[in-house]
Amino acid sequence: MNERPRILVVDDEPQLTRVLRTGLKSRGYDVRAAADGLSGFETFNDWHPDLVITDLAMPTVDGLELCRRLRSISQVPIIVLSAKGEEKTKVEALDLGADDYVTKPFGIDELLARVRASLRRAITQSKSEPEQTIFESGDFHVDLESRKVTVRGSEVHLTPKEFDLLVYFVKHAGRVLTHRTLLAAVWGGDYVEQDQYLRVFIGNLRKKLEKEVSGQNYIVTEPWVGYRFNPGT
Amino acid sequence: MPALPERKWTGYLLAVLSVGALTLVLKLLGGHVNATTVSLALLLNVLFIATRWGSVPAMLASVFAMLCFNFFFLPPFGTFTIAAADNWIALFAFLITAVTAGQLSAHARKRAEEAESGKREIGRLYDELREAFERASHAEALRQSEKLKSALLDAVTHDLRTPLTSIKASITTLLDELRGEPPLALDRESRIEMMEVIDEESDRLNRFINGLIDLARIEAGELQLRRRWGVVDEIISAALARAEPITRQRQIELEVEKELPGVRVDERAVSEVVYTLLDNAAKYSAPGSRIRISAQRAGAELIQMSVADEGRGIAPDLRERVFDKFFRATRDGDVTTRQPSGTGMGLAIAKGIVEAHGGKIWIESTSAGKGTRVVFTLPIGAEDVGEDRQYSMSASDKL
Repeated sequence: MNERPRILVVDDEPQLTRVLRTGLKSRGYDVRAAADGLSGFETFNDWHPDLVITDLAMPTVDGLELCRRLRSISQVPIIVLSAKGEEKTKVEALDLGADDYVTKPFGIDELLARVRASLRRAITQSKSEPEQTIFESGDFHVDLESRKVTVRGSEVHLTPKEFDLLVYFVKHAGRVLTHRTLLAAVWGGDYVEQDQYLRVFIGNLRKKLEKEVSGQNYIVTEPWVGYRFNPGT
Repeated sequence: MPALPERKWTGYLLAVLSVGALTLVLKLLGGHVNATTVSLALLLNVLFIATRWGSVPAMLASVFAMLCFNFFFLPPFGTFTIAAADNWIALFAFLITAVTAGQLSAHARKRAEEAESGKREIGRLYDELREAFERASHAEALRQSEKLKSALLDAVTHDLRTPLTSIKASITTLLDELRGEPPLALDRESRIEMMEVIDEESDRLNRFINGLIDLARIEAGELQLRRRWGVVDEIISAALARAEPITRQRQIELEVEKELPGVRVDERAVSEVVYTLLDNAAKYSAPGSRIRISAQRAGAELIQMSVADEGRGIAPDLRERVFDKFFRATRDGDVTTRQPSGTGMGLAIAKGIVEAHGGKIWIESTSAGKGTRVVFTLPIGAEDVGEDRQYSMSASDKL
């Protein structure tokens, strides 16, 4: 990654791109802006940013299509700017590969926090080896070979599905994961509509994890969207 | 409808009993009645049975009446033999008349019943259809109403939230700098830019709210026109002066017919219409392109004004819809441009104002074949027109 992380802002509202450009630049980011998905995609190919922030409703190529196109060629972190009432589109964007979302209107600090988290995850993922069998994330230590999980040093006994679910969470810590994404990853593509499976397993997993560390909310519910795994300190 | 068995047997019984009773009465009258009176009375009875009970009881009544007529009233009395040849003729004439009249009456009755039944059926079907149509129209009206409400909500939330987002992001950046945690040093240009965004977006919110108020006034019939005699050049000049910042990068061409008569209009409102059209023309055309404003007479009683640009134009199927509230061709239609989208209120308000003056507004292709030309007419007006006039959108326009 460059010394000054590059951020591409794609939004058809010129005032917002002006503000984001100034706000992000003042925080040490290198910023470019595009007015729609098409020019955003062109800028991405020419400039190779480290992160993309995109609006959803735009003329020509909208935010969803941009997510689809970007994911077909890159794993760059994508943060979508959504509005209340656009939940369906937001979930669609996350399913298409967006990493996070910020709901309008937002304060610059909230956006900056999401930007930092997404860039951190991108660095962690790029450093991890393909054959990695041990994952360390916050309070969690997960050994894929022995299928052992410890939280703050205490072993937690999980069923095979609970283990798979937790591994997926640990691997994507901090990211918003939609119900469909989790169901497809753990149960397979035929189960993407079976939200009840997920609710039951999430409930069980929370009970077991909170038994070890009470008061810590490791699996955060993102209303109407999915879950975000917060691995703790 | 087939007769019920009880009803059928009642008909037969009454046919026999009525003929029997009538024969008894006629016999008791003895010398006061002649054969002709008897035959007519019995015939009347057959007709009654036919109209009330149908053809088969009428047939039974006819035969029974013929037998009674022969037995009791044709000499020799008390036998079924007939002495005189003319009595045979009378008897057969009676029988044929009774049977024919009976059948005709029964048939007429049946037809009348069928007609009545058909009428009832048509009435029932009509009622059912009417109810079905009413239900369907009600459902359609509800659906349209919900759709409009949803469009209104979408438009309002989007147009309020978008500038709010820019304002909030600017303010929080400036606050971060003031608080200094974490330390943040904005340069002077950045600070000015943030302040400018806040200023411009506040104006945008204000314009949006003013537009909502204007639309609400039009819909509520509270748009007050203050008609005065005015000059078209002045109306256009006022709009051009106001639109100067947005049309600075366009070539403005003015074509106003010489010696145009004065018009009796609300000058401020008409100037608002021209400004809206100029704003749209500038918004949806490229810098350096031409915007042509024209005004001329259209017949003895109308002034026609138009604003034409060299932008992408509006598809013919969207040219009426752009006057709908909150409809935006760049978002809701098939126009795919990178140009900014308006609030979807300007043309709806312009239409309200023009129609309030008794004029019309429409969109047509430019003579050059590209771009948009919005044309509106205004009646020149007369001395006897009231100073003020209230206007409201038609019921179908209302949300």
